[in-house]
Amino acid sequence: MKTHAKGYDSTLSLRELLSGISPDRLSAALTVLLGAPARVVSANGAWVMGNAPPLAENAKRLPLTHDLETAGHLETAAADEARARAAANLLELFMQSGARYFMASEMHIEVVKADYEELQRRHAALMESEARYKALAENLEMRVKEQVNTIESARRQLYQAEKLASVGQLAAGVAHEINNPIGFIRSNLGTAQSYVQKFQSVAGQVKSSGNAALATAWQTADLDFVLADFPSLLQESVDGADRVARIVSDLKGFSSIDQAEEEIVDLNDCIRSACNVATNQINSRADLKLALGELPPLRCKAGHLSQVFLNLLLNAAQAMKERGEIRIQSGIENGQIVIRFSDTGCGIPPEVLPRIFDPFFTTQDVGSGSGLGLTVSRDIITAHGGNIEVESEVGTGTTFTIYLPVNKP
Amino acid sequence: MAELDETTRKLTIKLVYYGPAMSGKTTNLMRLHDLLSPDLKGEIMTLETQNDRTLFFDLLPLGFRTPSGWLVKFKLYTVPGQVVHDATRKAVLSRADGVVFVADSQRSQGINNSESFQNLEDNARRVGLDFGTLPIVVQFNKRDLPDVLPEEEIRGRWSAAPWPLVMASALTGAGVRETFVKLLETVYPVLDRSFSLSEEHGISAKAFIDAVTGESLENPR
Repeated sequence: MKTHAKGYDSTLSLRELLSGISPDRLSAALTVLLGAPARVVSANGAWVMGNAPPLAENAKRLPLTHDLETAGHLETAAADEARARAAANLLELFMQSGARYFMASEMHIEVVKADYEELQRRHAALMESEARYKALAENLEMRVKEQVNTIESARRQLYQAEKLASVGQLAAGVAHEINNPIGFIRSNLGTAQSYVQKFQSVAGQVKSSGNAALATAWQTADLDFVLADFPSLLQESVDGADRVARIVSDLKGFSSIDQAEEEIVDLNDCIRSACNVATNQINSRADLKLALGELPPLRCKAGHLSQVFLNLLLNAAQAMKERGEIRIQSGIENGQIVIRFSDTGCGIPPEVLPRIFDPFFTTQDVGSGSGLGLTVSRDIITAHGGNIEVESEVGTGTTFTIYLPVNKP
Repeated sequence: MAELDETTRKLTIKLVYYGPAMSGKTTNLMRLHDLLSPDLKGEIMTLETQNDRTLFFDLLPLGFRTPSGWLVKFKLYTVPGQVVHDATRKAVLSRADGVVFVADSQRSQGINNSESFQNLEDNARRVGLDFGTLPIVVQFNKRDLPDVLPEEEIRGRWSAAPWPLVMASALTGAGVRETFVKLLETVYPVLDRSFSLSEEHGISAKAFIDAVTGESLENPR
């Protein structure tokens, strides 16, 4: 039998060429056609078709050619040359037909195999693509959520930035408008105080003049009390006007956040102004204790640093579940400026602590905090060559420590 | 790659006629069978056709014996041109020693020609043949038809290509032998390098070509 691993263009033996033909019937037919015994021998003489015995010495031996080569011989004792040649031709046609069948089937097998491999390859590619789509579908919801969160954060950031900008603009405008009137109010109050003193200096003379009508009128109008109360009224107004002026100047400090110009400041002043701005939010929740040590003047972006202090103060105030204490400490340690904001608020859980500086991370309800305050704060401190650290214990409180390098002289 | 069988002292060379469907590959083989008279010439074996279209391949065996007693055998194959039979084309192309690309000169066949040539390049790479060094002759067939591209235009388009161009009309036999000889001329140097044809077997390029085409009588060995 022929083997099926040879390839369509391999050389075929006589046995392979005649494999489709019954040897017994072929020899029988040959014997009848030739009128004498015949046998088919392969090129090396090894294979004999049928069971014909070896022939006599004088037997004819005709070559059987296939593919330009002699594949075997037809041996016959027949005397008729023409018949023997015809039989050999017949066998060659059989061989040709066998080769044709063999080549066609081998080629068919090769092609089917190649097509099957191609199909399997495509199938594998399809499976892979299907798996990818499946995974995509499964992740879709999650990824949409992520995208929504990203967009939401970006929107909040934008909103926050715009809000800050418009608040700053408004504050600058208000500060400018208030500055003038508060200036002349303060000045007029001072003048008024000196006028009251003049009234007081003539009060004795009026009372001792002996004019009864005048004394009665003085008494009726209770001008003694008026003259005694007037200076303190004016003093309170002066204090109030001074406070307004201070708040206005602090507001101006914050509204200049966008103008990131460096100036030389005492950071304690920045801390104080941050406290003034945050007074309202703090007073209702906590007592503020300042322990500000002497600091060297620092060349820095003061507006930015004030914003950091304000952020930390507001965070501390918001951390108060019940009335507590916020302590701000400043000083020099190991040659660098150290500022500590400690509160006795609710503290930060350990699992949250590593994330508090992450952008858009917030524990507050949507809308009330941008999740950017601490991120921006850290960026500002880093930009000044310093760093910010946090320690916290749930139920006890939180301490943020800012380290800033002192400017080199 | 040509096959060398030391025991039977036989060198088998495989040449493939490639090209788009109906460009005349089988006709080329039939004309060669008529035109050539080498020492040894077999019958064309046609495997399976459908409406005159080749489904598997056609095979024409040719051969001659060298003075050193070796048998040099040529197997000329055609591939099926239709796009669907790509696996068969690939199988036939594998281990080829040289390729005749039979293009159809008709104006309408430009795209088919270029797609088939691209397919030849792709399949050569797939079966591990170096397309850059593979001996190729490009035949523009059907010159006898009316609406064909002018020869100057064809030569202009292919001027940058390294392969010999032959104009042919396989139906009348024109250019068929010339194409085959051109291929033998490009195949010989490769075979000579691999099998020392001239040194060990005393076959020069001319003797080689004369022997296959059947002009050996004019060229006494």
